[in-house]
Amino acid sequence: MLSSKEKDSIVNIKYFLLLFVLLFLTGCGEGLSPGPEETVNQTGFGGTVYFKGEWPDSVKRTYIAAFRNEIQNAGDFFLQIGFISDSIPRNTKQIIYSSQVNPLVPIKAGQYKYIVVAQSATDSISFLRKDWRVAGIYYMNGDSTKPGSIVLNENEFIKDINITCDFDNPPPQPPGG
Amino acid sequence: MRSGIFIIFLILAAVSNLSAQNYIIEGRVTDKSNNPLSGANIIIFNTNTGTASNEEGLFSIPLEQPGTYEVEISMIGFKKEKVKITIPTERRLNIVLEETIIQSDQVVVTAGKHEQRLEDLPVSAAIMSSEFITEKNFLSLDNALRYAPGVSVNLDQVSIRGSSGYSRGAGTRVLVAYNGIPLYTGDTGEIIWEIVPVNAIERVEIIKGASSSLYGSTAIGGVINVITKEMTGDPQTYVKTYYGVYDKPAYEEWDWSGQYRSFNGLTLSHSNRIGKLRFSLSGTRLENNGYRMNDFYKRFIGNINTAYNFSSTSSINLFLNSLNMDRGNFVYWKDSRHALQPPDADIGQKVRSARIFSGLIYNNALSSSFLLQFKSSYYNTYWRDETSSENSSTVNLFREELQATVSSMDNMLLIAGIEGTYGKVSSDLFGDPESFGVGPYVQADYRLFSPLLISAGLRFDYSKLDTLEGTGSVSPKLGLNYHLSDDLIIRSSAGKAFRAPTLAEAFTRTGVSGITIVPNPDIKPESNYSYELGMTYNYKELFITDLALFHNEYYDMIDPAVIPETGQVSFRNVTHARIQGTEISVTYNAFAPFNIRLNYLYLWARDVNNNKSLKYRPRNLVTAGADYRTGGLSVGLDFRFWSRIDELDTELVELGLVPDGDKRVPVYVADISAGYNLLKAGLPLNITLNAKNILNYNYIEVIGNLSPIRNISLGLELVF
Repeated sequence: MLSSKEKDSIVNIKYFLLLFVLLFLTGCGEGLSPGPEETVNQTGFGGTVYFKGEWPDSVKRTYIAAFRNEIQNAGDFFLQIGFISDSIPRNTKQIIYSSQVNPLVPIKAGQYKYIVVAQSATDSISFLRKDWRVAGIYYMNGDSTKPGSIVLNENEFIKDINITCDFDNPPPQPPGG
Repeated sequence: MRSGIFIIFLILAAVSNLSAQNYIIEGRVTDKSNNPLSGANIIIFNTNTGTASNEEGLFSIPLEQPGTYEVEISMIGFKKEKVKITIPTERRLNIVLEETIIQSDQVVVTAGKHEQRLEDLPVSAAIMSSEFITEKNFLSLDNALRYAPGVSVNLDQVSIRGSSGYSRGAGTRVLVAYNGIPLYTGDTGEIIWEIVPVNAIERVEIIKGASSSLYGSTAIGGVINVITKEMTGDPQTYVKTYYGVYDKPAYEEWDWSGQYRSFNGLTLSHSNRIGKLRFSLSGTRLENNGYRMNDFYKRFIGNINTAYNFSSTSSINLFLNSLNMDRGNFVYWKDSRHALQPPDADIGQKVRSARIFSGLIYNNALSSSFLLQFKSSYYNTYWRDETSSENSSTVNLFREELQATVSSMDNMLLIAGIEGTYGKVSSDLFGDPESFGVGPYVQADYRLFSPLLISAGLRFDYSKLDTLEGTGSVSPKLGLNYHLSDDLIIRSSAGKAFRAPTLAEAFTRTGVSGITIVPNPDIKPESNYSYELGMTYNYKELFITDLALFHNEYYDMIDPAVIPETGQVSFRNVTHARIQGTEISVTYNAFAPFNIRLNYLYLWARDVNNNKSLKYRPRNLVTAGADYRTGGLSVGLDFRFWSRIDELDTELVELGLVPDGDKRVPVYVADISAGYNLLKAGLPLNITLNAKNILNYNYIEVIGNLSPIRNISLGLELVF
C-alpha cells in the first residue's frame, strides 16, 4: 500500500515524464536538409572583354571582379568584393564571358558600382589591394568619367557588360594600392 | 627558474615536521558494510580545517586547542553526517555513512581554492559526477559538458553563460584546469580535451562567472576544474572497451560512403602501491572512422599518477598525461548537398600532434590553521598540419604556483598565493615568441555571523608577450552568501576580470584561401565587469531550485577583423559587448530511484557598438535529464535544446568559402543510456548501451559543420 507521499510522487513523476516526452517530440523534425539540386542560376551578367596591346610578362592571373561600392581604401578591396569570375587565360585578345560559368566568388542579386578586369603577379591568390592592378573598367554608355554601375535583380541576366583593357593606356587605379 | 623551484620545494619539505600537534581528532569512515571509504571529506564545522580519509578510511586532524568540536563528514553518493566530539576527553570517531543519490551538501574546491560547501558559495556553481560521464560513454570531457547547466560547447570551444563564441580554439574565455592546474596550450590558448583521461575523473566542478581574482587571465567567463580520483593503493585492474556505429545519414545525398561508419576504444588501467607510494597507470586507444569524410581520428592517451604521503599532514602527487593523435582535417562542408564531405581540395588533409602534460602538487598542513600548497606543471605540445600549408608549432609552457591558506579564529579564512608562467613557441604560424606572466592574489572569506559569509578577493597580473609592451591588470571581486533559513540561501557577487591575448592572437602570420592574417603588436587585454544575484531553495532535499540573474560588460573584446587600410585580417580589440541573462535549475529527487533535472538559460548577448547579437550565442538553452537507478540497473534520458543562433560568420558565406554556410536551425538532441552492473551477481562487469541523437536530428553548432548524426555504442567495463 503506497503512502500519500509516495502517491503524490508518482503523480509528479508522470508529469515530468510527460514533459520529457514533449521535449523529445519537439525534435521530431529533421532539422537541416540538403539544398535543392543546382539549377541554372539566372542571376548574373555577361559580355565581352577586349585586350589591346601586349600582355605584361609579370601577370599570373586575370579575373573579372565586381564590387558593391567603389573602392575608397585598401580594406574595401576585400570588404566590397561581390563577384570574381573564372580565370581568363593569358594573351587572350577577346573573350565572351558569363558570371554563371565557374565563378571563384558567385554573384548575387544587388547593386554593383565598380566592375573591372583585375590582374595580379603573386604566386598565390591574395585579397590584398596592393597585389592587384586594374586593367580595365566597365563604363556605361561609353562615359569614361565614372565607372558604370548595374543593378541585378533575382533571376535577371544583364548582357553587354563589355570591358576594354588597353595595356598601353591603363585606367586610373583605385586607392590603397 | 628551475633551480628556484627546487629550492622552494626543499624548504617546504624541510619544514614538514616543524610544528608539534598536541591535540588530534582521528577516526575511520566506512559504509554500512564496514568497507572503508576513501576520499570522504571531514571538516570541522564553521571552520575551514579539514582533511580527507585515506584508502583505509582513516583520517586525522591536528588541533591547537582542546574543546568541543562539531565535525561534518560528507562524500558524494552518501548522506552527510554531523557529530560532536570533545577533545581531549574523546579523540576517536568511527563514522558509518549511508548511501543516497541525493547530491546536496557537496564540497567543492574550485570557487575559493579551498574546500567549501556548495551552498556557501557566493557564485553559481555546478558539479558533474564521474558516473554521469562513464554511464553515458562520453569519450572526451567536452562532449559531457554539453549537458552541464549553463555551459555550451561550439564544436570544441566551451562557453559558460555565453562568454565565448567560436574562434577555432584560439583564446578561450573559460579556464579549464586539471586538479587546479590550468590546461590551456601556450600558443593558441586552446583546450585539448582529449588529454584528460575520462576514466580518471572523479568529478568536474563548474564555477560560473568571472573568476580572475583567483585564477587570472582566461577565467574571464568562469572555471571548469577536473578533479581526479583519489588513488586507493588497493591493487585494481580496470578494462573498458566499447564499439559503436553511426547510423546512415537522413538523406541519400549525404550518404558519401554507403557504409555504417564505426568507432571503438580500449582502456587498460592498473593501480597499486609500493610501500607508501600509490600509483596508477593507464593507456587508452580510441579510433573513429568518422561520420564525415576526412574526419577520422586515432588517439593514444597515456596517464601515470603517483601519490606519496610523507606524513599525515604532507603529501605529494605527481602525474603525467600524454596524447598522440592523427586526425583528418575537416574544416567546413563542401555545401549543404554534400554536408558530410569537405571541399575537394581539402580531401586527404591531416593533422598530427603529440602532447605531454605533467605536473606535481605538494600539500603541507603546517598546523591545523596553516596549509601550504605548491603546484608545478609542464605542458609540451607539438602539432603539424599535413595540408598544403604544412604549418607546425612546438610549445613549451611552464607554470608554478605557491599558495598559503590560513584560518584564524573560527570564522575567517585567508588565502594568498602567487602564480608564474613562462612559455616558448617555435612555429611558422606564430614565429618564435616567448611569453611571461606573474600573478599574486589574495582572498579573504569572513563569516560575519552564522548565516552570512563575505568573500573579497584581489589579484594583480602582469603579462608580457615577447617584444610587445607588458600589460598589468587588477581583478577585484566581492561576494556574499546569506542563509535566510535552512532551505533558502541568497548569494551575490561583483567583480572585474580580464583575459590577456594569446601568442596566436598577437603573432599569427599566415594566408588562408586568399585571406592574409597578420600580427597585431597593439593588441591589449579584454576586460569584463560581472554582476550576479542568485537564490537557492531546497525543499526537504526533494526539490532543489536555483535562480540566478547575471550581467556582464566586456570591453576591448578580441575578435578577428579586417584592417581597413590594408585589407589584411588580424585579431583586434573591436567590441564592447554586453551579456545578460537568467538561469533557472530544478532538481527533483522525489521517489528514490528517480532523479530529474531541468535547466533553462536565457542569454541576451550583443555587440553594443554595432547593435547586433554576438556570434554563436543562442538566446535560449535548455538541458534536461532523468535517471533511474535501482540495484544494478541504470537508465537515463538526456535532452538539450538551443534556439536558432542569430549570428555566425556570414563573411565566409559572402566570400564563397562556405557555400550554404548560413543554414542553421534550432538544436534538439535527445540521448538514451542504459546500463547493468553485474557486481551483485558476482561478476565485476558493467555493461552500458548508449544511443545518442536518437531522433537523428541534423544541426550545426559551427558554420558548415553538421554535428554527429545518430549513433549507438555498446560498452563493457571490468574491474578486478
